[in-house]
Amino acid sequence: MFWQVLYEGLTMGTIYALLAMGIALVWGVMNILSFSQGEFMMVAMYITFFINVALGWDPLAAMPLVIVIMFVLGLMIYRTIITKALKGPVLGQRLVTFALGMVLCNGMILIAGGQTKSISQKIIHGNIELGSVTISKEKMVLVVTSILVTALLFWFMNRTKMGKAIRATSQDKEAAGLVGINTQTAYMIAFGISAAIAGAGGCAMTYYYYFTPNIGTNFMIFGFIAVCLGGFGSIGGAFVGGMIMGLIDLFTGTYFSVSYKYMAISIIFLLIVTFKPKGLFGR
Amino acid sequence: MRGKALLQAEKSFITQTGIIFVVLALIPLISSGEFFVSTLCLSVIWAIMGIGWNIIGGYAGQVSNGHAMYFAVGAYVGALGLEWFGMSPWITMWVGVLLSMLLAFLIGYPLLRLRGHYFAIATMAIVECVRIICTNWNLIGGATGVSFFQRDMNSLYSLQFENRVPFYFICLGFMLVFIIVSRVIQQSKFGYYCRAIKANQDSAESAGVNSTFYKRWAYMISAAVVSIGGALYAQYIQYIDPVSLLPLSNSMLIVLIVVMGGIGTIWGPVLGAFIMTFINQYARALFNQLSGLNLFIYGVLCLFIVLFIPKGIISLFSGEKIKKLFRKTASEKRR
Repeated sequence: MFWQVLYEGLTMGTIYALLAMGIALVWGVMNILSFSQGEFMMVAMYITFFINVALGWDPLAAMPLVIVIMFVLGLMIYRTIITKALKGPVLGQRLVTFALGMVLCNGMILIAGGQTKSISQKIIHGNIELGSVTISKEKMVLVVTSILVTALLFWFMNRTKMGKAIRATSQDKEAAGLVGINTQTAYMIAFGISAAIAGAGGCAMTYYYYFTPNIGTNFMIFGFIAVCLGGFGSIGGAFVGGMIMGLIDLFTGTYFSVSYKYMAISIIFLLIVTFKPKGLFGR
Repeated sequence: MRGKALLQAEKSFITQTGIIFVVLALIPLISSGEFFVSTLCLSVIWAIMGIGWNIIGGYAGQVSNGHAMYFAVGAYVGALGLEWFGMSPWITMWVGVLLSMLLAFLIGYPLLRLRGHYFAIATMAIVECVRIICTNWNLIGGATGVSFFQRDMNSLYSLQFENRVPFYFICLGFMLVFIIVSRVIQQSKFGYYCRAIKANQDSAESAGVNSTFYKRWAYMISAAVVSIGGALYAQYIQYIDPVSLLPLSNSMLIVLIVVMGGIGTIWGPVLGAFIMTFINQYARALFNQLSGLNLFIYGVLCLFIVLFIPKGIISLFSGEKIKKLFRKTASEKRR
């Protein structure tokens, strides 16, 4: 039982982590609390669904395409909306992303209707029995995707020139501009990548979850909490925060009460923030 | 000299308020269609909540994304008071205010030390907790909520009217009170301290402003005002449940109407509430075949206003323009 819950918790944690890393990237680089991240994930799920219906592609096969589409969508949203919002006040930036989420969510209701959707035919399905633990292969897809995305993101941020430019811009925009980094491009790429992460996450989630246009808003607050737990918009922190939340979620859900599990997350978050206002790993 | 200017400002504020409220009070005489008047009521209720949020978010600069909680506290106390004890909302709304202020005091203690995004997220987390408690606590209705339509009581006692016009006047009365409260706060020393904290908390503290004290009081007053808005909303809708009262979008809509109207101004929340409620209600009635279109329009509109008029719709009528307008109306009256 314990190991089963541990596995399920880690699976749940990877979802939170994928959501949180996108939020953390935007937060860390351009200091925007992005309310639209959950909606990006929802849009990615529907793109996967449409590709599946129209072309019959498996979500796994569609994933690269979805990631590219979401990346381009992110760039477009940055060019049209976020650049303009960045000149305004901080509160305005936050509300712009909230309004954008509202537009995406209700636009999707207009296009696809409010009903629950799911993808029925998948290449990988079935379970692996490992002693007392049952590992669902569909959930495994999610875990592997999440680990791959995290690894790629770390490689990109630490090893490539563009990643280093983004990190430099997030530390000090003026100084980065002085040494010849195009900060606008860095911002744009960062926003695009955060949308692409949502793309990978949403695509992998269609493997296991049902989805409606409202799914983004439900996840939103937990993505924020995961980022805060990690502290100060750091990507690694967000990943760990997401994992911790997944474990809290499943353990309280199993051993205490299903209806109060989200409350447990919120209360633990509030306690941590009360005693460590900068998050668990914040300096 | 300064006193004279201040007196002048007070005078112009009083005439401004007078004219706006007379106009608002005359609107139902012109057109008293049921849908129109109930939209008016809803606008005034949202305006009251906007005024409340503006005290902490606009004056003191602490952007709370969790004011739906006080909204719900006011609504629940009013609803359950009427349902269980048959108590008039005129009494229970003040119980709700006390409860909200107590909650704000307790929550403000750890939360108001947080800054920026952390404060916003922490307030959201608290609303999430309250939503879960309300959904699972069967004593107060649980997920199905409370329905409390009272026909056998005097409508002035239960605040539930067949015809919405008297209710509109009551809401308008409350709004007048809170506009005055908002003005008094803005003009007082308290308001100046709040704005100093908003501009730069560290330098305000080094100048001797007790920022914790003022932030906490601003938070408590704002919670109290929003809770009155909740009590009025409960009597307006006559049915409450956690899903309609406590979603994240409710907390955000309070912020949105204030920012779109004009944050930190007295009339901004009122303007924002009227414009947005009317657009939302009429879009919903007009496109009820296409679910989602009304909120889609609302979202697009918010995007445009926040991006292109960052200081709010009220900044379109800048001080000079309004003065000109008032001079014109005054001269027309004389004629």
